[in-house]
Amino acid sequence: MAVNLTELSLPQLEGLKSQLEQETEFLTSSIGQLKVVQTKYVEAKESLSVLNKSNEGKELLVPLTSSMYVPGTLNDVEHVLVDVGTGYYVEKNVEDTKEFFRRKIDFLTKQIEKIQPALQEKHTMKQAVIEVMNMKLQQLHSQQTSQSSMTKA
Amino acid sequence: MAEAIQKKLQSELEKYQQMQKDVSKSMSARQKLEAQLTENNIVKEELDMLNSQNTVYKLIGPVLVKQDLDEAKATVAKRLEYINGEIQRYETLLKDMERKSEQHREVLASLQQEYQRAQGRAVGKV
Repeated sequence: MAVNLTELSLPQLEGLKSQLEQETEFLTSSIGQLKVVQTKYVEAKESLSVLNKSNEGKELLVPLTSSMYVPGTLNDVEHVLVDVGTGYYVEKNVEDTKEFFRRKIDFLTKQIEKIQPALQEKHTMKQAVIEVMNMKLQQLHSQQTSQSSMTKA
Repeated sequence: MAEAIQKKLQSELEKYQQMQKDVSKSMSARQKLEAQLTENNIVKEELDMLNSQNTVYKLIGPVLVKQDLDEAKATVAKRLEYINGEIQRYETLLKDMERKSEQHREVLASLQQEYQRAQGRAVGKV
């Protein structure tokens, strides 16, 4: 940044600080959201491991609602339907689906890695602003005390 | 004199605030489009990776309907085209609004100066 922080006035610094606070908050929540989605993908990928040959034909309970289940048999352990977004579902085999999830998880990791340095930068900047503010406040304070002591004297 | 200017200033200020509201509305609409663009791009990427052995379903209400892969690709392509067009439209709209509010700011500033001068004169007379 070209602007020298020490040249800014206290209200300006205050504004800058709240702006940086907003930005860090936004970035932090973005990372949080990305992490939540990533965990979902990881869980989905792990649950695929149940779909193997040794489980074919086994009985299972299918949830009709969140509180009611009906018995069923695991017929097909090779194909799953994957939601690829905007209402499109694609039938894929298990291997391709694992690949799909791996891709998604990688993509999210990259996005998080992109945001992290930006967040770090904003954070350091906020810290610097707070430091300058403290310095200015102290200066102001010492000025006032020296003035009042002068008037007393 | 000063009161007339003050009234004008007030009404101009209200107009300006309304304008800022419109700007932020268009801004958020644009952001929404951006999100849709990203999502559709991801879907397009996924569809492009498929071959004719994969079956594609479209969720219509609560029902999954089988759909032709080429048809799905065409739909997504068309949607992307539409979204890009909309983004362009909002872009020009926002630029226009930006220019207008810039002009409005200048008008407001000069009105404010005028008001201050008029007020100063009134005080001087008394």
